[in-house]
Amino acid sequence: MKKCIACGMPMEKVSDFAANDPNKDYCVYCARPDGEMQSFEEKKENLTQFIVRTQGLDENAARKIAENMMRKLPAWQKYFNQE
Amino acid sequence: MKVSARQIQKANTRKRILETAYRVFAEKGFSVATSIIAKEAGVSHGSIFVHFPTLNDLLTCLLADFGDKMGTRLHMLTHKCDSLDDLLNEHLNVLEENEAFYSRFIAEKNGLPDEAKSAFMFIQSTLAFHFSIVIEREIEKGTVKKLPIPMLFNTWLGLIHYYLLNREFFVNSNESVIKRYRADLLSTYLNLVKKV
Repeated sequence: MKKCIACGMPMEKVSDFAANDPNKDYCVYCARPDGEMQSFEEKKENLTQFIVRTQGLDENAARKIAENMMRKLPAWQKYFNQE
Repeated sequence: MKVSARQIQKANTRKRILETAYRVFAEKGFSVATSIIAKEAGVSHGSIFVHFPTLNDLLTCLLADFGDKMGTRLHMLTHKCDSLDDLLNEHLNVLEENEAFYSRFIAEKNGLPDEAKSAFMFIQSTLAFHFSIVIEREIEKGTVKKLPIPMLFNTWLGLIHYYLLNREFFVNSNESVIKRYRADLLSTYLNLVKKV
């Protein structure tokens, strides 16, 4: 089963894929309204806000967690390899 | 590229070490000596260090793998849930499947490599994603009280983790605390958050 390269979510149904396109490597939650994949900064911010909104964590702690999650995902390797 | 018999054997040994470490850590905690893992796995002590140069490497690999497997399993079981009752029940299923290791993990994670915190948050964030979708829908329908989502989520997790962290006081050894208290945990939480 394919996993989203930008967040790791398993993609099963066509509706899980960005723009309902199973050829895409990223999911509906990692796409912008025009179907393009979100940028590194956009994804980090969205993930941070999602963690704050659903789990109530401190924003700085949530940002660190978001970065650690992204660190393992294929889409963002180049951003971390620069460190 | 053809895989040699030696490479297959090496991969099998690595797999056996990880599976044994998972079981031994669950039974004895994470401070157990690597010599015990080697003995239980039926490999020489040196063989562990061929695959994992330090105990930290073994732990990091095991925890990353555990976080990934548990997160994926949670996603597979909860993404189809329409009701809060179903979702919480599936969460308990995943915890019961991994109860011994998960209980050790949450009890000792602060003394483990950073990977432990990443794995912990990956698991909780996967659950929080599906929990928030379902509970927002129930709040909108008027079936769940309009309370802050993080408080609803953390109250559930706090309740479950209390039983897991103190399982020795709630059950006899080798008994599952989730299995024994599942009905009470579910009905109590649902009664607290649901509108009458």
